[in-house]
Amino acid sequence: MAYTVEQVSIMDSIINRYPRKRSAIMPLLHFVQSIDGYVTNEGIELIGQKLELATAEVTAVSTFYTQYKSKPVGDYHVGICTNTLCAVMGGDAIFESIKEHLDIENDGVTNDGKVSVEHIECNAACDYAPVVMVNWEFYDNQTVQSTKDLVDAARAGNPPAPTRGPNKLRTWKENSAVLAGISDGLANEGVQAGEPTLLGLKKAKGGA
Amino acid sequence: MSIQELGADQQVQVEMITCVIDGFEITVPKGTLVIRAAEKLGIQIPRFCDHPLLAPAGACRQCLVDIEINGRAFPKPQASCTIPVENGMVVKTQLTSPVADKAQKGIMELLLINHPLDCPVCDKGGECPLQNQAMSNGRAESRFEGVKRTFEKPVAISSQVLLDRERCVLCARCTRFSEQIAGDPFITLNERGALQQVGIYEEEPFDSYYSGNTVQICPVGALTGTSYRFRARPFDLVSTNSACEHCASGCAMRTDVRRGKTLRRLAGEDAEVNEEWNCDKGRWAFKYEVAKNRIKNPMIRDSSGQLQEVSWPEALAEAANGLKNSRSGVLVGGRVTIEDAYGYSKFARVALNTNNIDFRARLHSQEELEFLATAKTNATYKDLDNADHVVLIGFEPEDESPIVFLRIYKQVHKRSIKVTSIAPYASRGSEKLKANLIKSASGSEVSAISALSGLTSKSVVLVGERISETEGGLSSIVKLASDTGAKLGWIPRRAGEKGAIAAGALPNLLPGNRLISNSSARVDIAAAWSVDSVPSEIGLSTEEMINSDLQALLIGGIDPMDISPEAKIKLAKKFIVSLEIRQSDITDIASVVLPVAPVVEKSGSFMDWQGKVRKFEAAVDQTLNRSDVRILSMLADEIGKPINLPTVNSARVEFESIGSWDGEVSTMKLVVGAGNKAINNDEAIISSWRNLLDKGSLQDGEENLAGTARKSKVVISQSRAKSLNVSDGDLVRVSNNYGAVTLACQISDIDESSIWLPRNSLNSQLIRNLGVVSNSVVKVAKA
Repeated sequence: MAYTVEQVSIMDSIINRYPRKRSAIMPLLHFVQSIDGYVTNEGIELIGQKLELATAEVTAVSTFYTQYKSKPVGDYHVGICTNTLCAVMGGDAIFESIKEHLDIENDGVTNDGKVSVEHIECNAACDYAPVVMVNWEFYDNQTVQSTKDLVDAARAGNPPAPTRGPNKLRTWKENSAVLAGISDGLANEGVQAGEPTLLGLKKAKGGA
Repeated sequence: MSIQELGADQQVQVEMITCVIDGFEITVPKGTLVIRAAEKLGIQIPRFCDHPLLAPAGACRQCLVDIEINGRAFPKPQASCTIPVENGMVVKTQLTSPVADKAQKGIMELLLINHPLDCPVCDKGGECPLQNQAMSNGRAESRFEGVKRTFEKPVAISSQVLLDRERCVLCARCTRFSEQIAGDPFITLNERGALQQVGIYEEEPFDSYYSGNTVQICPVGALTGTSYRFRARPFDLVSTNSACEHCASGCAMRTDVRRGKTLRRLAGEDAEVNEEWNCDKGRWAFKYEVAKNRIKNPMIRDSSGQLQEVSWPEALAEAANGLKNSRSGVLVGGRVTIEDAYGYSKFARVALNTNNIDFRARLHSQEELEFLATAKTNATYKDLDNADHVVLIGFEPEDESPIVFLRIYKQVHKRSIKVTSIAPYASRGSEKLKANLIKSASGSEVSAISALSGLTSKSVVLVGERISETEGGLSSIVKLASDTGAKLGWIPRRAGEKGAIAAGALPNLLPGNRLISNSSARVDIAAAWSVDSVPSEIGLSTEEMINSDLQALLIGGIDPMDISPEAKIKLAKKFIVSLEIRQSDITDIASVVLPVAPVVEKSGSFMDWQGKVRKFEAAVDQTLNRSDVRILSMLADEIGKPINLPTVNSARVEFESIGSWDGEVSTMKLVVGAGNKAINNDEAIISSWRNLLDKGSLQDGEENLAGTARKSKVVISQSRAKSLNVSDGDLVRVSNNYGAVTLACQISDIDESSIWLPRNSLNSQLIRNLGVVSNSVVKVAKA
């Protein structure tokens, strides 16, 4: 897929944010995902050309980070934390049941292309364990049932709003654009630091 | 404090550091790594990723040692390949520290967890750092009882390099080499954690001219050469130090032979020349010597016009008869050893009584002849190491002398030195050197050369043989060097050209740079040769000999298609004695064919572009060491005017005893350059050079190597593309009265009047197809 003149000029504006071109590689990879849904060869070649890097070097970066996908994911990419705390709080059970529920393996996509599932490492939200993320938005204190409801709603095209974060869940591509540094204006929507997160601080300051 | 020598004219004070390793005190320059300081004491710390010519990585962790500084110990063992020594440092290696020893054994055990036990079928088995160090510094038994990780194998990362991922220990030597030394970062470490592996971008193979070095420095058997894979065990090979015959870079090599057959060639070590690297052509192009059309016995042409195998005495008698009673000359070819060139040189003067001798089996000019006989070319690799500015004129180092490229690239990578290239467009090599391009159509480089400024005595001007195709080119370079004091290097493509100059295989030159025009130089040589006199008349050049009415020619290894499309037809009218390795265009027309040995079967020496002698011995023994000079000596005996050089060694001794001319020298007669050519809109000035990997005859028979050759393309400018209405990759036809070439185009920032094509590549053999290679007007059209 060839990129439009407008898309290429956005890439240039991203590159211009950095004193050295090559620093722009990560937002550009997100930007490619916001267009193609994953890191395509066309994207790798264009980034290599723009940043004066070999395509192999771009490949090295894009395969190192798990947020960059080498094949398409769903419109709603569900990440289930299976690190220690989330796992014992129910993450393992959620992960197993969702794979069975959607009839896909880890890193798989449903046939309709709507939902994909991946087990993820710690998201720094242990205070809300077990945590599920959809397109990198938080769904806190999940259960097997709540997660099934969440993925079913996502498949139907009307997922509930994240527990914290914006008032409406955006798609994989839309959130990839945000990760590329293109603001969607929703950064201040919803809960920021929640009650459990601030509890320790409160206690330290002598609160109840 | 001590003084470390950096260059002849430059000494730098280096701070010295004293530390203790395993109880021994040692003083080394500041910045020395612990692992290197230990080596100086003869203490070997096991390692995989460490390589003295690559930046430290600390990737494999095998070299862990215990370190304390001024009584304060590091809390855990440290990688000795990344830590420089400091005053007061006390290092304990595995020899004196049980902690370091245990740490090393632990690392080795981890590295071996996923490493297959396929040493008996692995190319590296028997010369493998992992195998060796697992024995010397590992545990005897693994505690790992799980299933080893496996990958699909092997992955061809190019047609000549194969990757077995499960053998890899992730030392990153190959990726660091590609990035830091070759400037071709086409292989990288991909993925992460347990899945981390060496890989390429899937659409772009590892087509680097230097990829073979990664096979050589891989400390395990993860990277192997396609041609050598499963062919031999290292302990079955007989290794001989040799020199590379492919170009004038002068690489030291090692040739490994099994049962009389060359199986592989490796880069040898020579800090002053190729360090530890070579190019893929030097490494893999050696199958020509066992090609089917190898000539084994002497042949003469019978009355029906067929070559018939005959005995040596019969062939020599026939050759002598044809040569001795006619006006004759000698075409040496550019690939001979110094000893052989000396043989040809002496043979022409003594046995044939003529100065008709020329080694230039390529385009050449009278101006170049003057230049070769008189110019002071004094640049060396060391000058490149210390240069402030390198100027490339008619010279593409990556294609035409690849180790020169590596040396320049090293300084570009390390010190960002300035590189200027006078060329029609920026080749991939120029781009890697970040060269400042002075766009110049072939034939009109003189104005660009004259306009060069800012050169100092630390600058190096490197000139390729192709500049002789531009009238006035070499003259303006000589002027530039003498005006600025810059060092000058003339770098021919072929390995034998510098040596042939020294041996006097030119129509105006005798051995040791003695001009034929100088009578005392002639007397000098006549005395050395115990003859009454040597001929005083300047001889004919290659082209003149081909076009002349000389009746007989003695021809070494040349390809007439390197000179002109009609050369073969013209030569066919003469009595030809051909000294050849394989059947060729010359043996096709020769009256007598005398077989000679390829480099691996003979001894001798080449002279690299610096003028340094690169001696080598025969790698394949049980051969007759049939170097050209031996045959020439027999032939001269037969003619009745002996040259008395029955062995390579006798030629070497005699040539060395003659020495260089220390008498009066002359300076070059300068030639004025021609103006630019006028062209119409649908015309262009053709320019070309040879890609490193192309249709050259010494690359015959090695298809894996050919698989990584760059695709033949015609380079055109943006505006030409627009006027032809073509886009990148469309076919473009280049033609003249002689013929045509049709190639896919590459749109690039090339001089507006120029187009560029590879000189001798697939579908683009310019002398054959167009009759011209440069500096000539051709028609360009959409195909």
